[in-house]
Amino acid sequence: MTSLTPILQGNLQGYLMVALLLFVIGLFIVLSRRTLLIQFMGVELMLNAANVALLAFARARGNDVQGTVFYLFIIAVAACEAAVGLGLVVGLFRLRQTTDSDRADALKL
Amino acid sequence: MFAIFALITLLGALSVAFQKNLVIAGLCMVVTFFGVAGLYLMLSNPVAAALQIIVYSGAIVVLVLFVIMLLNAHEEEAAARTHPVQRWGSAAAALVLAAGAVKVVLSSGFASAMRPMDIKGPMDLNRLGIELFRGHLVAFEVVGLLLLAAMIGAVALVKKDL
Repeated sequence: MTSLTPILQGNLQGYLMVALLLFVIGLFIVLSRRTLLIQFMGVELMLNAANVALLAFARARGNDVQGTVFYLFIIAVAACEAAVGLGLVVGLFRLRQTTDSDRADALKL
Repeated sequence: MFAIFALITLLGALSVAFQKNLVIAGLCMVVTFFGVAGLYLMLSNPVAAALQIIVYSGAIVVLVLFVIMLLNAHEEEAAARTHPVQRWGSAAAALVLAAGAVKVVLSSGFASAMRPMDIKGPMDLNRLGIELFRGHLVAFEVVGLLLLAAMIGAVALVKKDL
């Protein structure tokens, strides 16, 4: 068992721990909440967790320029995802007057 | 410092998970994103921290808050039906995953051997721009096209009669 001091000072283990816990919290939000907008926030949190892990690894491997370039592309895709996702939520609200994912069951058997 | 930013990040995320009011949940997202930006600063990567603040806490959260206010959906709707199994199942799955993740990271010799802090100077825009436009020019252009496509798609989804 390692001591906790280097983790609290922020070595690679600390960053990975924060990234994984952030991912798990995002997953919990997506699984347990019903409001589509909150679930969307959970997805954003999971994406951020992946970014934290990416940049921590890039720094630790000594090539953080490549990592930051990748991070740039990832947030561009995340911005696209946000625009289209929120468009879908607005479209659903227009169709069904709801933002509850339980009530969006048109594709359910 | 790292522990403070990590705490801000995780507490912000947790308060999103348990917040009933959507607007306050959105503001908790801002707190989380600032915490993540602080983590990037601790990785001596100020470029990523600035991008995080501009794109996430600037653009995306504002977009979410606009949609919340546009749909007048501050409060959660009453549940169509209750899902006790789903709620407890998701909580249990999250706890198991979190415990497993912590255990794996703590027992990893690879991760504890590496130290992110003691390498080179901080990230700067100069190096980033050279790398971006020398090595990834095509991908950069494709990302521009992708953003355009997403913009058109969002307008097409939301517009009443195209």
